[in-house]
Amino acid sequence: MTGTLVRLLRVLMTLLSHHRRHPLQTAFLLTGLVTGVALWSAVQVINAHARTSYAEADQVLGAQASHWVRSASGQGVSVEDYVQLRRLGWRSIYPILEQRLTTADRGVVNLIATDLLVLPGDDTAASSGLPEGGWMRLVTPPYEAWFPETLAQQLNLQNGDRLRLNSGTELPPARLFSREQQGLRAFMDIGAALTLLDRSRLSYLVVSELSGDAEDRLSADLASLNPQLRLVANQQRLDLTELTQSLHTQLAAMSLLSFAVGLFIVFNAVRFSLGARRHTLTTLRELGVSQRLLLAAITLETLVMSLIGTVGGLGLGYGLSQLLLPSVAATLQNLYGAVLDYRLLVQPTTVVQAWLLTSAGLVLALAWPLWRQAQRSIQDQRFEPAQWQQDAHARNRLLLGSLVLALLAAVLYFQLTSIAMGFTVLALILFAGAGVLPWVVALVLRGLQRALPESAWRLNWACGEGLAQLGTLRTALMALLLALTANFGVDSLVDSFRTSLSDWLEQRLAADLFVQSDTLDIDDLLANPGDWLIESHRRNGLTVRWQNRPTQIRGLNTQTSDTRALPLAAETDRASAWFEGDPGVIFANEQVRYLAGINLGDTVHLPVQAQTVAFEVVGFYHDYGNPTYQFYLPHERVAGLWPTAGEQGLGLWLSGGNDALAQAEAALLEAGARPGDWTRRDDILAISLRVFDRTFAMTAAINALTFTVAGIALLASLLAIHQQRLPSYAHWRSMGVSNPEWLLIAGLPLGIGLLLTWLLSIPLGTLLAGLLIYDLNVLSFGWTMPLIWRFEPAITLFWLTLVVAGVTFAISALQVRLRLPQALKHLGEDAA
Amino acid sequence: MRVYARIAALVILVISTSLAQAEIREPDPGAALDIMRASGEGYPITKPGQPIHFPEDHLAHPDYRIEWWYLTANLTDAKGQAFGVHWTLFRTALRPGSDAEGWTSHQMWMAHSAIHTPQGHQYEERFARGGIGQAGVELTDTGQFDAWLDDWRLLGTAESPVPGSLTTTVNDITLQLDWQADTPWVLHGDHGFSQKSGQGQGSYYYSQPRLQITGQVIVDGTSIPVSGEGWLDREWSSQPLAQDQQGWDWFSLQFDDGASLMAFHLRQENAEPYVRGTWIDADGQSRSLGEGDLLIEPLEWGEVDVDSGKDARKSLPLVWRIELPGQNARWTVWAREANSWLATLVPYWEGPVTAEGSSGGVGYLEMTGY
Repeated sequence: MTGTLVRLLRVLMTLLSHHRRHPLQTAFLLTGLVTGVALWSAVQVINAHARTSYAEADQVLGAQASHWVRSASGQGVSVEDYVQLRRLGWRSIYPILEQRLTTADRGVVNLIATDLLVLPGDDTAASSGLPEGGWMRLVTPPYEAWFPETLAQQLNLQNGDRLRLNSGTELPPARLFSREQQGLRAFMDIGAALTLLDRSRLSYLVVSELSGDAEDRLSADLASLNPQLRLVANQQRLDLTELTQSLHTQLAAMSLLSFAVGLFIVFNAVRFSLGARRHTLTTLRELGVSQRLLLAAITLETLVMSLIGTVGGLGLGYGLSQLLLPSVAATLQNLYGAVLDYRLLVQPTTVVQAWLLTSAGLVLALAWPLWRQAQRSIQDQRFEPAQWQQDAHARNRLLLGSLVLALLAAVLYFQLTSIAMGFTVLALILFAGAGVLPWVVALVLRGLQRALPESAWRLNWACGEGLAQLGTLRTALMALLLALTANFGVDSLVDSFRTSLSDWLEQRLAADLFVQSDTLDIDDLLANPGDWLIESHRRNGLTVRWQNRPTQIRGLNTQTSDTRALPLAAETDRASAWFEGDPGVIFANEQVRYLAGINLGDTVHLPVQAQTVAFEVVGFYHDYGNPTYQFYLPHERVAGLWPTAGEQGLGLWLSGGNDALAQAEAALLEAGARPGDWTRRDDILAISLRVFDRTFAMTAAINALTFTVAGIALLASLLAIHQQRLPSYAHWRSMGVSNPEWLLIAGLPLGIGLLLTWLLSIPLGTLLAGLLIYDLNVLSFGWTMPLIWRFEPAITLFWLTLVVAGVTFAISALQVRLRLPQALKHLGEDAA
Repeated sequence: MRVYARIAALVILVISTSLAQAEIREPDPGAALDIMRASGEGYPITKPGQPIHFPEDHLAHPDYRIEWWYLTANLTDAKGQAFGVHWTLFRTALRPGSDAEGWTSHQMWMAHSAIHTPQGHQYEERFARGGIGQAGVELTDTGQFDAWLDDWRLLGTAESPVPGSLTTTVNDITLQLDWQADTPWVLHGDHGFSQKSGQGQGSYYYSQPRLQITGQVIVDGTSIPVSGEGWLDREWSSQPLAQDQQGWDWFSLQFDDGASLMAFHLRQENAEPYVRGTWIDADGQSRSLGEGDLLIEPLEWGEVDVDSGKDARKSLPLVWRIELPGQNARWTVWAREANSWLATLVPYWEGPVTAEGSSGGVGYLEMTGY
């Protein structure tokens, strides 16, 4: 037993000695592994963190939240009602003010405020965990506003700075501090916030817990106190988990792609090392080492590598997740209202998963090739075919594999039903494309060789050299293709989405001013408005539960110009009945069509009091960015069916007069609105697009990282190529090949390879974007939009590739320059 | 004055100054002195010669930094089983200056509700902002004295809290008590100015030492009728304590012969304790006890569960000797239930006591700063 162990250790040491002799190869192997694992684990950490945060959605600012008390009118809850409930003994109730604020430079900040003195649980004002000065500074002038660090950075705030709002008000001095579940929001004392923002009503009340018959008793108390008040169970935890599922699947898929690109590097590095290690393996076999022992040693080496890769990858991944978190958190908050806090934890399952993934990757990229090499009989190795023959075979096998993958993708595509399946198709297409690439490059090089006249011997030589390099270069080119395709595809997606969204917003946001106020007397405002007003659109609505999801019902004025111009994505010939006020028809957003599976002409049953009312769906409208189902009905119909439906904003069209805006603002103030209650159309547009850009910042970040990984792969390949080709370069030099000639011969094939990779990435990227837009986006979010194809991203990627290739080639050329004298010396010795 | 001054002061300390990472369930008794040293600058100063007016002074004095309404009671049920009740409402002004309505009010309220039943000691603590109606002390529309925080309420039948009633809860226990008194209010110290140190710090302080109480304790839907005697304290100040005072032991004793005694024992650094009190005859006539009139000393120390913090137990003086040399009277006073610790924001010990000696009696003891 001990003897076997000693032998095993010896074999292992012999195997590992390779890494000592070729540290650069090992470095690349580990780089590939670590970066791949890092990207994957970064996303994994964020996903796990988000899920934990959803599980905490039954809490608000660190306190339990089993129910909400909301006003059915949407006007918030009065302080008097809140105090009455406390005086009735409902101590588990605490007040919340949530306010969307517009900053002086047209940014958006969400504010959340509560009274820490009554927050249930240990973490009250009286308890620990508050910053220096604690509660006292929050509640005494000039007060304090707490900003999480990320938000403070976005707003460029330091401790003590005051954020200026567009209403002219300044928030209290900032403090960089964050409470539980504060998310990307500013936190203030509720008294200070109400005073400062000149508000009188609370957004809603939270009920921390209700046991036994308390729910019924509270409902009864609410009914007798104020019939507008409703007790609503907190289902956010379930809702968030369901609503955000698509986003997390998308993130996971992107991270797996990064991991795959990382594996390409590993595979690349291992392939380069195989040549060198072949002799070691042969020698070991010749010395009588059994296949089993060799397998055990290879397994151990894989284990060592996987541990290093996991630890390094997780470490780097954790750092990356810190960088990516703000943008993911922004996405989740913007799209779903989910609040993520900023204390990231690596969970044990992530560590185990990372290790398993690394090990699986290494078995594929390291152990399997090594084992195959070791298995080959010594005899075989003596008579193995020439390198170029092997390469040609490999290319053909890859081509065949690609065709199989493409076929599989095509078959799967026509049965696409889930996001996971969609991403499988996407991966199959990507890998099929990558597999075709070496064959295409070889084809072009050979075609060129044939087409070139004999006099162009240098170009001919370059093509030949290209074919010789291709075996080593192909993996890097494939990795680069994946990165370029992903970049181009996702760029096209984001571009298309941004264009669709801004067109849609332009159309939908037709009014000049949008008012959302809990103090405005709309009847008073519209009773005798004056000549500044051309048209107004008053909406009402409420949120109900339909198909077990929060569902918005909105009442529109069917006669206003914006409703008349409502762009429908699909409609039946009964759509006009909706505009005529037919009580039996309804418009739904596309989410209802694609996520709830309702078709045109179908009947939906919406909850009205304890019953349901049936409507025929006669049209679907685009509703980008909304994670919930939504229905449009005429204003009066909503008011008639749901007496508790509240005001959902007012749109005002102003006359062209110079002082129309000033007059409108004066009238709004007169009618009870407060500064900051209205937003101008341009501001909403700008804010929406800013939110969009922030939401997609993460996509760009992951793309950039994938590209970096591909760049590293390219550098590794070039260094390996030049290492392998150094003796040949020495020959050439001895034959009198000049430096410019060398550059042409060694560099041109790379240029051709890169050009072809880039060219291939364009159709593949387009295919990817198409799949994302027409299938995955619809499956994930229920939004449809046209693919807007632009060449510009491709141009940008071309230059980017050129720069990366230029830099990597320069580094490798420098390496050649440094080593050439030594190689020439060897050449001399060999000749002698 | 009672220990409450210290409690209220500690509240200010804990909430207003360096709550940072402090494990405030285990406050450093030394740190409490910091706030005690804080001058009452900007607030009205308590001084002798300021007459107490009824019923106005039953209501809040928002200009002063701290104030409390404090009820303790020794009750028994039909079987003779003893119950102890302690209910307090504290008001703290967070900053000097005239108060404002609504959320901008400077006032903060804190209340404690505690009960000793044959099954043990339970307590609850609540906080509220001033200005929004969640807590306060006012006259109702019908002119009744009304002190409340959430649904805890001490309500007078007229402008005075006596006669009156208390409705409160302690976790799942509900308490409803009604009281009246035959003896007058007792002004402590110099016509209501109760000095707390040799350096002149003090508070306005008066009590009703003989509340006749009937009521019920409702546990798990079962109502237990109780009756007995209670003690109601009123006190307000802006800077009650001197720099070198560490802690506080306060007694309210109701003797079987109808007489009562209020006594406090302020522990001082490098000095003998500052001991003062008030003797109240059975007919309600009172006499201030000055230096040398009153001797108070701990006799036995015992272990007490304190619920939380690093030390689950503390050693506290649970048996005391109280002597009035001038009256040739002495008593041994002992805590009936050692485990009467309140691990509240400002932790302290408060529980019913029994007195034996020159006459028998019951009462309440409060100890802080341990």
